[in-house]
Amino acid sequence: MSRERDPEADPHAMEPEDMSPEAVSRRKLLKIGVGVLGGGLGLVPIVPALGYLVHPLRLQAGEAGAMLAAGRRSAFGKVPVRVDLYADQRDAWSRESNVKVGSCWVHEQDGKLQALSTRCPHLGCSVDFDAKENAFKCPCHRSAFDLTGKRQEGPAPRSMDTLELKEANGLVTIRYQRFRQGVPGKEPV
Amino acid sequence: MKKIITWLTGRTGLDVAISSALTEPVPGGARWQYVFGSVLTFLFMQQVVLGILLAFYYSPSASQAWASTAYMNDQVAAGWFLRGLHHNGSSAMVIVVVLHLLQVVWAGAYRAPREVNWWTGLAMGGLVLAFALTGYLLPWDQKGYWATQVATGIMGSLPGGDPLKQVIQGGPEYGSLTITRFFSLHVFVLPLVLGGLLAAHIALFRRHGVTPPANLNDAELKRKTQPFWPNQLFLDVAAMAICAAVMIVMTFRTHGAELFAPADPASNFVARPEWYFLFLYQLLKYFEGPLQIVATVLLPGAVAVTLFAFPWVDRATSRRPSARWPALMVVGGLMAAVTALTALALVEDAHNESYQKGLKLAEEESTRARKLALEGVPPAGGIAVFDNDPKEKARKLFKEHCSTCHTIEGRGGQEAPSFDDYNSRDWLFALIRDPHSKRFFGGTKGHKDMKAVPAVASAVTEATAGAAVPDDQLRAVVEYVLSLEGPDAGPTDAAMVAKGKALWNGTVECTSCHEVEAGKSDTGPTLAGRGTVAWITRIIRNSSEEDLFGDTAEMPKFADKLKPEEIKALAEFIFSQRGVKPAAP
Repeated sequence: MSRERDPEADPHAMEPEDMSPEAVSRRKLLKIGVGVLGGGLGLVPIVPALGYLVHPLRLQAGEAGAMLAAGRRSAFGKVPVRVDLYADQRDAWSRESNVKVGSCWVHEQDGKLQALSTRCPHLGCSVDFDAKENAFKCPCHRSAFDLTGKRQEGPAPRSMDTLELKEANGLVTIRYQRFRQGVPGKEPV
Repeated sequence: MKKIITWLTGRTGLDVAISSALTEPVPGGARWQYVFGSVLTFLFMQQVVLGILLAFYYSPSASQAWASTAYMNDQVAAGWFLRGLHHNGSSAMVIVVVLHLLQVVWAGAYRAPREVNWWTGLAMGGLVLAFALTGYLLPWDQKGYWATQVATGIMGSLPGGDPLKQVIQGGPEYGSLTITRFFSLHVFVLPLVLGGLLAAHIALFRRHGVTPPANLNDAELKRKTQPFWPNQLFLDVAAMAICAAVMIVMTFRTHGAELFAPADPASNFVARPEWYFLFLYQLLKYFEGPLQIVATVLLPGAVAVTLFAFPWVDRATSRRPSARWPALMVVGGLMAAVTALTALALVEDAHNESYQKGLKLAEEESTRARKLALEGVPPAGGIAVFDNDPKEKARKLFKEHCSTCHTIEGRGGQEAPSFDDYNSRDWLFALIRDPHSKRFFGGTKGHKDMKAVPAVASAVTEATAGAAVPDDQLRAVVEYVLSLEGPDAGPTDAAMVAKGKALWNGTVECTSCHEVEAGKSDTGPTLAGRGTVAWITRIIRNSSEEDLFGDTAEMPKFADKLKPEEIKALAEFIFSQRGVKPAAP
């Protein structure tokens, strides 16, 4: 180690370290001190950061989980109609009214209205209605479902997800929900 | 474990790197006065970590910045603490930079061969201030917005500074581009530049070593030499811990950093810079008009040049402080001037009543805004948070449904009575005196039945009430009318009420049209409970009810147009106008 050094502050080479028992134990103490204090300093931002970063776990679906207006009963028949559902939404710090929260297919099934979420239970692509074949088809991975939403073919692990639907005074309301993807059972997220 | 370490070090040379970083002889031994550089490095790294954490929730846009900061600060667990620590970190850095500079000057460590080290240090000191300036604006709150306006304003006032200002603030005015630019500078450009300079600074420091006390000779230095690890590092880490402890205490004491109301370009906020810029702010007060450049550029520039040239300003042949007193005096004088200016600024503000008042208002506004933000901020962001205020909602409703005919807060139509200072004694007095003035029923098509009440007999005509009523008598009538409102009217003068009641039944002849008991009705509105929120609500719902305006009512019925809670909000808003006088247009 021959480095050019400041002539004024020339430290020369270091003296061999003092190896007396006191000096050794003192150095050990200092090393422990550095470890403890240094570790403590690291914890200062880390500990609060844990709660801070997992904050999203505490968030819940707001009004989006309520019964949302879908239209008049007379607008729906045997052919599936795609309905967009709107709700007032809280998104972190913002509050927006009338935001599209999702959509579903609505049609009559044995005289009763049924709502099927457009989200494919496989990986969440938006399922289309194929009028020619009278079936629902996912454009991503070729999952196909019959008019009742029952899985016919493709990688989807279950049938299309039905949504809660109510009729009152000639008006239709639907509760929009999302379900876990890629699993055989229908579990709300 | 040992095997893994051997494997890793054999391939990376990590052990050599670490030991060469730690094995550094400290001639003359470890000392407290060497800790400042390490503390600054620690502070910088902590700021980086905290800054990254803040970026998890912060959104750099003119519409989102305030809302996201308020959310992080008031709704996310520990958000206030991390943001507060980041805020206090900037103050801590400024303080430690000054201490470091003073130590370097005292030790003469700027002298040959450490000039480049000195310059990189000065440059980093400037960067710390640039960090503070750019970071300050990011919450897009009143204080950040207005304090930064001053800084960019100074830039624009320089000869040829306008294009520079426009480029930095991203346009002729503050807006979306201002915040993306400041964000980019604060979060990417400045840290990278500072990191580079810091690496050079440390490398140069390692090349030249510490600057030990000048009064120790070589032999003594050598005898007292201690290793950096662990002797000096322990002191360094202990100093960092003290610094961190102070910052944590400060953060808890103030519950984090302040966050004022969202930036409002139309407001008149009492702008003050952060404490470490107060001396520059104070300096500005002494140089007016064309001389302003002295305070903004020439003096600070001269100081900067002096500091950069310091290795040559100091002509002493020895490094001992006693031999360098002229150089030390320069820095000492500078520090004294900065301290004095800062103190002056603080004292002046402490005695400035309008500033204190403005600050108090600003704090109330901040509390209100942050409370409203808990409900979520509308998409427009920033000051749109005030739309959450029920009063603001009512004001909007009023503007939409009522202001074509009625005036409130100095704005609106004159087709129907004005609600400015509604139902106050003065308002009632003026109404009874002359119901047909534009301020009251003058703009309506009907409502001609009520007769004006002149003050002097000579003004009595066919079209007016039968007898003149002097001001003091009319005041008594007003007091009586007010008493009919009930407790909501506030305290009334019983003697005046009694006098007014007598006049009411007698001279002024009000009884011929107005009933004063609930449940009865006459040609004019029944006055029991008149002016209360409930009464105003009934008027808004349907003013043509028998005991209100009956068949002379012209106002649309809002019972079917607005929701009950909207009508109630409107009624409360109108009721609250008593005592509110609009500013002269």
